[in-house]
Amino acid sequence: MSRFHGGLAATLFVFSGLLEGTLPAQNASPLNDEEFGKILSEVNTPLDKPWRQVPWKISLLEAQNQAARTGKPIFIWAMDGHPLGCT
Amino acid sequence: MLKEKFVPVAIDQAYQRRQKDTEGDFYRKIAGASPRGDGSGGGTTQGLYVAAPDGSYLGFSNHRSPERIRRLLLDCLSRYQPAQTQSIRAEKTDARYNPQPPKGGLVVRVQAKILDGYQPTDDRWKKIFQSAISRDNLWISGEEHRSLARGQVPDILQRRIARFHLVDNTRGEPPMWKMAEIRKLEMRIEGKSLRGSVHLETSDSSRGYVAELFGKLQVKEGQVTRLDLVARGDFWGEGRYTRNAPSGKFPLAISFRLADGKDVADRIPPQGSRGWVRGYLTE
Repeated sequence: MSRFHGGLAATLFVFSGLLEGTLPAQNASPLNDEEFGKILSEVNTPLDKPWRQVPWKISLLEAQNQAARTGKPIFIWAMDGHPLGCT
Repeated sequence: MLKEKFVPVAIDQAYQRRQKDTEGDFYRKIAGASPRGDGSGGGTTQGLYVAAPDGSYLGFSNHRSPERIRRLLLDCLSRYQPAQTQSIRAEKTDARYNPQPPKGGLVVRVQAKILDGYQPTDDRWKKIFQSAISRDNLWISGEEHRSLARGQVPDILQRRIARFHLVDNTRGEPPMWKMAEIRKLEMRIEGKSLRGSVHLETSDSSRGYVAELFGKLQVKEGQVTRLDLVARGDFWGEGRYTRNAPSGKFPLAISFRLADGKDVADRIPPQGSRGWVRGYLTE
């Protein structure tokens, strides 16, 4: 796919990592409760990111129906790989 | 502006440009009027489109610059003239491109992050990719759900997790693992913990992932109510659409969390199931 060659993905859907202090794997201790909790919380998209505030629909017909009701135009983010389900 | 002036929709156009149904027709009407074309020649139609509710084309861009996107939106708004439009009903739905999660099964959010290994950069876009967290969904069948509730991780589920979800998809669509690339795979439930290890590697050793897995599982009245799992290990290599990985081996962490359906992305089919749901669930 060439989704990132010219797409919006990088603008809206990727975000800063929060993993300072997490050990590289080759130097890491075996996974335990502490490391597990740390990774689980840090490899997780924060809810307050601006792109998550956009009320995305994933059905084009649902979008059309809402647009017809509200009189607004439709903005379609169409990529190879789902924009909300990949990176 | 996007939230207030538009109805925003995100799609994997590999589905819509192929769908032989009402939604596919509507999408191809819009894309076909753009410089992209409707994809009938087999090419991608990816990009950003603006259309009126009746499908009239208003604008297109395939640039990621926020400034250019803003100009596109403003330009389209300035030319758009609202008109009475009927809602389109789905007269026909192409089942191949509208897969649904297995009945009685589970949907699990999967996210990946490279922990270290990139060369420092001042490049705006590289910085974004280097810190990206990916998102996909794992589908678990009803039968597999019941096995998990009994304290077993079926082999078929282990293979699905390994082949389609222990991947580096932080820079784009990744290559999935072939069956023969599973060198070692083991997952087991011990009480309320899930433990395992995996070694995935291509035949030419150009790409691989060696990782440990650790998780927590809770079951209530035969239903899995918690399924949190992490994989952490060394990854190496890249794919055609995931260029610019760190050189050599780098630490990759992948988290799995039971989806609660509150995120619209919970409804998106797994990337590995694209056009091939049966194979994703049964191989």
